[in-house]
Amino acid sequence: MRYIPLKALILTLLKELGLAFLLLLGVSFVVFAILYAAPGDQFNVLLEGQLPTEEARAGIREAIGTAQTWYGQYSSWLLNVLSGNFGTSVRTGLPVAAELLNVSLNTLYLTLGSMAVTLLIAVPIALYSSVRGHSVVISWPLTMLGYVISALPVFWLAYIAIYISIHSFDFFPLASMSESQGGNAWLYTLVPVLVLGLGSGTISEVIRNLREEMTRVMAEDYLRTARAKGASVWRHAFKEGLLLPVTEIIASKIPFMLGGAVIVEQIFNWPGMGRMAWQAAQDRDFPVIMGIALVAAAFVRAGSLLQRMVCTAVNPQQARD
Amino acid sequence: MTAGRVQEPEREIIFMKKYIQTSGEIGDFSTLPVWQKYAIADLVYVAYGLLIVALVVVSYVAGMFAWLPYDPQQINMDAMMAPPLSEGYLLGSDFMGRDILSRLIMGIQAYFLPGLLAVSISLSGGVVLGILSGYRGGRVETIITYFTNLVDSFPRLVLILLVVAAFKPDIYYIMVVMGITGIPTVATAIANKIRFLAQKNFIEAAIALGLRTRVIIVKHILWYNCRALLIIHATIGMGEAILLETSLSYLGFGVQEPVSSWGNMVQSGANYFLQGNFWPSTAPALAIMFTILGFNLLGDGLNNILEDRREK
Repeated sequence: MRYIPLKALILTLLKELGLAFLLLLGVSFVVFAILYAAPGDQFNVLLEGQLPTEEARAGIREAIGTAQTWYGQYSSWLLNVLSGNFGTSVRTGLPVAAELLNVSLNTLYLTLGSMAVTLLIAVPIALYSSVRGHSVVISWPLTMLGYVISALPVFWLAYIAIYISIHSFDFFPLASMSESQGGNAWLYTLVPVLVLGLGSGTISEVIRNLREEMTRVMAEDYLRTARAKGASVWRHAFKEGLLLPVTEIIASKIPFMLGGAVIVEQIFNWPGMGRMAWQAAQDRDFPVIMGIALVAAAFVRAGSLLQRMVCTAVNPQQARD
Repeated sequence: MTAGRVQEPEREIIFMKKYIQTSGEIGDFSTLPVWQKYAIADLVYVAYGLLIVALVVVSYVAGMFAWLPYDPQQINMDAMMAPPLSEGYLLGSDFMGRDILSRLIMGIQAYFLPGLLAVSISLSGGVVLGILSGYRGGRVETIITYFTNLVDSFPRLVLILLVVAAFKPDIYYIMVVMGITGIPTVATAIANKIRFLAQKNFIEAAIALGLRTRVIIVKHILWYNCRALLIIHATIGMGEAILLETSLSYLGFGVQEPVSSWGNMVQSGANYFLQGNFWPSTAPALAIMFTILGFNLLGDGLNNILEDRREK
């Protein structure tokens, strides 16, 4: 029976949840502050074609029910957000929360999928070059390839992928989430996932980090002991050499993936958060972009929470201090 | 201990590096020539990176004084989508017959100064916060950790879209935001470095000698021991700034047509991509790739040469 450090895990969970709550509070305040300082009045969109008199503005505020002072606005907005009400989109008039839920699941699929693609490429290269050393014949070209791929702009890589998939495989990935493809819909979603996984600009960094960690762990005394007594090196090196660095990379790369998702979603018409954020930035649709920033920050915090949990599971002593 | 072990020159150097400390850079007593002291790969990386940096600077100056083969805004309807190396267009022309080479050179204007602004903001902010949290510790450190975690919670592009929605800013303001989001990385690196240095004898000696804290921090910590770190972060930050500027211009939030940026060149060229006219968008995309590759390789190569060697 394996030992599971339940107490340490619960302790870490509580601590990290508290920290995440504090940070999300800070995020909400920053988001609010930026939009509060914005010049102009976002409700002017609703008065288009009319003369925006003071009365009309106040009337709209009254009709929508916003408070007049900044702390009044902030606290009422925050209370609404906490109860799951993100407001209504200024452009479409639909509630943001329902749309956000839909859209964030799509983005989650895209980002996690492309994270998996990145790791599937980077981990074998890193493992190979850390176990075999820097062989000039195979390991160096692979590393170089990683550098070149991560320097390619994702918005150009996307067009290459579209071109290839249309001309060689005869399908059109720009309609990735529509109903018309029938049972093969998931196939169409693979192209954007692959593009973001390759082009998010993280592969070379992941390779370098993993290789350094793995090389360091391989030189540790306990692995020499394991080797000497004929035990499995892989089993002993797995936790410290692979599991910890990989979770750390996943946690720290989530923001980059979400940023890359903005571009990829825009190119592939992917109905996700990134495209919504792009649209909202063009329309100055404040409730939508506030919601997106909060949800994106929540994703980032969730990633780091997961990473801390894995850390504690591997090394329960960490939870004590 | 066997005699053979001690006589190995490499080992001796490492041994000496570990135990001899000066207030200056920790001594490098190897008399080997440069190409034997460091990995060839790292030297190649740095050489390529320096080449790219030189090319960017020269092109920037050329663009500033308008030393260009053509006017980048000059429309020529007789030579639309010209392939490279044709009719005097060295790199071909785009969908309006504008010279791609001239537009590429002018595109450097779009990120050069804004990128430098972003890098200097993240370096100076990072140095201040890093020193405060590394040297002071205590409550200040807690607050700074909160701040860095807060900034790290925003995906960079989402935060910038938020700012774009709020202020409709130009590229310089966007790069200020970018600089602020770059502060945590630098601050953490500086703070870690200071914690590492604090165990060394020469800092203790400097304090015992009664040197002022300002002198210890600025001279002995920052100048002698952190400048390599700062250069590395500057190159990596510049690469990130280029990627961000081109991405934003691609999305239509950065530099607007007809002023050229590598991002909006890819964007306008991409409309003709699926018809088989690859070149107008591929040329700027390759320019982006080779430039970012240069900055990344320069950063990593310098890191291997200047940082890792000294501490291990």
